[in-house]
This record gives sequence, C-alpha cells and structure tokens, in this order.
Amino acid sequence: MIYFYDGSMPAFLTAFLLAYADEEATVTSRSLQLTLGAETVFVQADGARAKRAEKRLLGMDRDCLHDLSTLLRSGDDDRDMVAFRYLKFLTQQGRPVRDMLAEDCVLAAVECMRRVGYEVHRFHGFLRFLECSSGALYAPFSPDNDICDLLVPHFRARLPQFPFVIHDVGRKKAAVYDGEHTFVAPLERAEIALSADEEGWQSLWRNYYASVNIPSRERLKQMRGYMPVRYWKFLPEKYRSEPL
Amino acid sequence: MCYTVGMISESKLRILTESAKYDVSCSSSGSKRKNEGGMGNGYAAGCCHSFTPDGRCISLLKILLSNDCVFNCKYCMSRADSDVPRVSASPEEICELVIDFYKRNYIEGLFLSSAVHISPDHTMEQLLLTVKKLRNEYHFHGYIHLKGIPHACDRLVREAAMYVDRMSYNIELPSEKSLKLLAPQKSRESLLIPMQKLHSDVEIFRAEKRKGHFLPAGQTTQMIVGASPETDGQIIRLTQSLYRRLGLKRVYYSSYVPVVHDALLPDVPAGELREHRLYQADWLLRFYGFDAEELVESDGNLSPDLDPKCAWALRNMQFFPVEVNSAPLEMLLRVPGIGARSADKIIRARRYTRLTFEMLAAMRVVLKRARHFITAGGKFYGSENAAAVRGLLSSGGRTPAQMSMFADSRGMALALPSDLETARSALRGEL
Repeated sequence: MIYFYDGSMPAFLTAFLLAYADEEATVTSRSLQLTLGAETVFVQADGARAKRAEKRLLGMDRDCLHDLSTLLRSGDDDRDMVAFRYLKFLTQQGRPVRDMLAEDCVLAAVECMRRVGYEVHRFHGFLRFLECSSGALYAPFSPDNDICDLLVPHFRARLPQFPFVIHDVGRKKAAVYDGEHTFVAPLERAEIALSADEEGWQSLWRNYYASVNIPSRERLKQMRGYMPVRYWKFLPEKYRSEPL
Repeated sequence: MCYTVGMISESKLRILTESAKYDVSCSSSGSKRKNEGGMGNGYAAGCCHSFTPDGRCISLLKILLSNDCVFNCKYCMSRADSDVPRVSASPEEICELVIDFYKRNYIEGLFLSSAVHISPDHTMEQLLLTVKKLRNEYHFHGYIHLKGIPHACDRLVREAAMYVDRMSYNIELPSEKSLKLLAPQKSRESLLIPMQKLHSDVEIFRAEKRKGHFLPAGQTTQMIVGASPETDGQIIRLTQSLYRRLGLKRVYYSSYVPVVHDALLPDVPAGELREHRLYQADWLLRFYGFDAEELVESDGNLSPDLDPKCAWALRNMQFFPVEVNSAPLEMLLRVPGIGARSADKIIRARRYTRLTFEMLAAMRVVLKRARHFITAGGKFYGSENAAAVRGLLSSGGRTPAQMSMFADSRGMALALPSDLETARSALRGEL
C-alpha cells in the first residue's frame, strides 16, 4: 500500500500509525507516478492520533521528534521512508537508537540528518543579504533542504535591528523577521527596490574576492568541493554584476 | 594621508587586500562573544563565507590598515625598499567596510593587520583606535582578529586584547638565525615576549574570572616554510612548544611564494605538499595525542610519500593490528585512515553490536589504509597473513624472499628503513 501525506508532521505520524504493520508500506509526500494497480491511500492528519503517537515516541526517545522534524526537511527523494524506517526501528527497540550505526535504517537517518544540519551550517556562511531601500535585508537562496526558518535564529541574534526575509525561491516560501516576530509565509516572487549603495558594496565585495585570491595556487576542485556550484547563483562574488 | 569618511575606494581596497592575503590565518572560531545591543556575535565553531579559486576560505575581511612600512623584511612585498604604491585606510573606512560587509553576510568579522607605518607604537595605536571605534561607536560584536606589531609597547597591546577576539604575532621564520637574515628589524624576543605576556594575561584574566573580554579566542601564529633551511623536525618541535608552553590555538604554515626577488631568498616556491604534511603533523599533535618526537627526527623531514600517521604506524607495527571492538579511543585515533569522526562512529556503534568489516564499510569508515592495521571481530582483511605490513608488501608486489625479513612483525621498526620504498609504494598504490 502507498500512503500519501502532505509532508506535515501530524500527517506523517498519522500515516506512520496506519502503515506500521504493513510490511509493504510506502510512505510518501511526493507526487510520484503511481504504480499501476498499487493500492493507495491519502492520509489526512488526525490531530488526536498524532498527539498520541508523539507522546509514545517521546517516551522512548525524548529527542526523536526533533530528529523527525529534521528528516522531513530533507530534500532527499527517500526522506519519508528513511523517517518511517527509523521511527519503526525506534518503536521496536523502545529506546534511543541513534548510536546504533551498524543498522542500515539508523545510518540512513543519521546521514540524512547530518546533511540537513550541514546545509544549515553552510548557509550561515553562504546566505547573502541584499539591502533594500527601506533598510530591510532580503536573501534569496535555493537550498537542497527545507531550512529557511532554521536560519532565522542565527541571523536574528546578529542583526536584531534589521528586518529580513530569507526566501527559498525553489519552495516558494520565506522566513520573515519583521524586527520583532518571526514567521514563515508562502512567497512566489519578491519585488524589491535595492538601496542606493547596494551596487557599490557588491562591487567592493567582488573586488575584495578577486584581490584576496592567490592566482598562482589555483585549486578549483577544492573550491567547488567546499562551495558547490549550485549555490553560486545567489553569491554576488560568483555571479557577474547583474543582481537578482 | 587623506582620510575620507565612507566607502573605501576600489584601488585602496585592492592594494590593502593584496598585501594582506599571504597571511594564511582565516579561522573565526573560538569566541562566543554575545551581541550586546548592536550588530554581530561570535560563532564558536567558526564559519566560512566564501571560497576563492585558490581553494582557501574567506571567513574574515583580511586587510591591512596601511602597507607603508619602515621594516625591510626580505620576503615581504610591502618592505620599505620595495617599489609599490603606498596607501593607508582610515579607521572609519575600515569600520564602514566591516559593517556593510557583515550586514550582507559576506564576512564573519575583521582580520586587521598593518605594515609598520611610521613606528611600531604609532601603528599599534592606529590599530587600537580602529578596533575601539568598531566596538564602541559602531557597536560591532562580531569576530576581530588583530595582528600584534613587534616592538609596540605593552600597554597598547594589552588594551587591544580587551577589544578583540584573537591576536597573533607571526613567528615568520622557524629559527632566530633565519629571522635575523631575512627580517632584520624583527627579533625572536620582539615576537615571543609579547606572546608570552598575552598568554599569562589570559591565564590571569580567566583565573580571576574578571568581567569583559580578554582574547576569548586566544592567540595564533604563522611561519613561512621553504624560505629558510629549517627541517620539518625543527618546525614541528617549535610548533609543539608553542602549543604547550604558550597555549596557542593554531600554528599556520605558509609555503613560501616568491613575491619579491632577493639574493637571500629562493626563487622557486616551496612545495605545497610540504605545507600539507606539516598541517597533517600539526593535526596529529593537537587532536590525535601524538608527540613531535614520535613523528619526525629533529634533523629530519616528514615523508613526502606517506602521511605522517601512516609513517608512524609503519615504524611501530608492534601496536597493530588493533581490534576495533575493544581498542580504546586513543588507539583508534592512531590507526592510519581512521579520523576523529570515524573513531567516534566506531565508539558509538560498538556499544550495541560487534562490528564487522561490512558494517564499518557501510558506516563509511574508509578502510583503504585502515584494514591493514585493524581487526574487526577478530578478522583481519589486510592480507591473508597476520602482520599488516606483510599485507602492504604483498600488495606492493614484492617477492617472498624480500618479504621474509618482515616475517616477525616486531622486527619492523628496524627492518623498515631498508625497504621503505616498497612500503610506501604499497600505501600509495594498492591500499
């Protein structure tokens, strides 16, 4: 049986309960092509059941919902099944399993969580704000994983006086800090007017980037390894003078 | 000198950056400074913001306040008798640059250095003025790494340490003799004594639990490798004493790049491989529990063909193979190919099950080298024989007669040098 759900945590937990005993279960939030003849069910979140499941899971491992939330943010195609197998194994063991790295399902989950966490860390560095004429900051990016709101606490602590928008252009959503509160909202396209100085600072940054390089020691492979090309689209030092 | 408030000019930024870029220190780690009502904070783990085509990371805005130098260090492009355009930035220009770069998340903070402009005290005063302005007027609480100026007075240095996260004096050259020859105005005392003083000041500050900050991210240093004749053995011993006696956080090595021509300097750049091996050895000192004496003879160099851990293991085969299911962490860390992360995975996973080679492979523990030095559940996959080195040698394609001298693994340390090439090629190739 294929269990479709909407990608939310309550719906996942509802699907988890329904699919638990099904040895052939496929849990997914992706609109994959249906296998001909496969039985499918569309799982709606059942708040009460999800709550009960949460409580039981927390009794076995008080950090497991954090793990689940991280896994569901993954951009990996198989994230739902990775999360499903991990929680199923946890339930069978009845205690924290994250150190049982010799188990395939645990290893897959741990690696998946590591990738999400690593991307958050990377974007602490690679996110680029554009200064708007209003003084607010706007950062478009297109991460592999669904992490825009996870970046907010870091930047809020650093730039408390500046309202900012961190825009996941691929997922068409944004994490917003209005100078007081933070929230997530759907956002298709942002119309922004850049501040008068924005171009100038970007140009200085490009100048700095070019000057600090040592051309006689070129190691492009290493650069791409640390800073994958797919991130370059939003880095002023890597796109040439046409801001987004 | 012309001071204008506001945006620094492109040409000034270029000159002051190009003169600063051979300083290799880039890290922004070690400080947990809080944002106290302004902009910025520390990020204890450090954070890279970009990477340049030379493969290095940009974390801090690395810049000189001035490149107008009265010193005449032979290797330096800003030396007094070199014919380069001289510029100085105003403290305001530096502050504006930091604030606007930081706000856009281009950088993690400032790395401020300077040529010795007019005099050491004058230069230190200007540096101090800049960081005080950044902290007090611009309310910047992000990371600041400040270069110490040799021969500047103690009072200025100590005051600067209260505003910045990290300071560094560059040792520059690994021996007094080379320093005298190539950096005539610097002396060992002018570099080591301020480092010692700062170190003891940090200790006192911590012991007395005083309020405020005093170099929360400690000190680092840098030395140029390949411009002077010191051996790796001397360099690694010096490094070890800097870590142990002066409590340094990092020692950086910069393989010599000829930016100026001088009869006293080699015209060819030092190999990057040598720098790489030094860093590997440095990591072994800091994170893997090795002593310098274990890694290299004082008058010797690190092997270019083998990483220093592998070389050590081959000299000490009596310790191997170790059983991954029972070996203590400090021994796992000494296995070639097993790094800190793999060791951690092994320690965690083995609490629940008896690890096999298949499990290790699935856990992405790299076994290419390690399998010759470990057993898993009593099994050894280095070769059919019990001794790891015989595995190495057989994969190196040697004849049995030559292998026989390694038959007794206890004889390894003695036997190895005579046939080091074989072991090396085995490690580079087959393993």
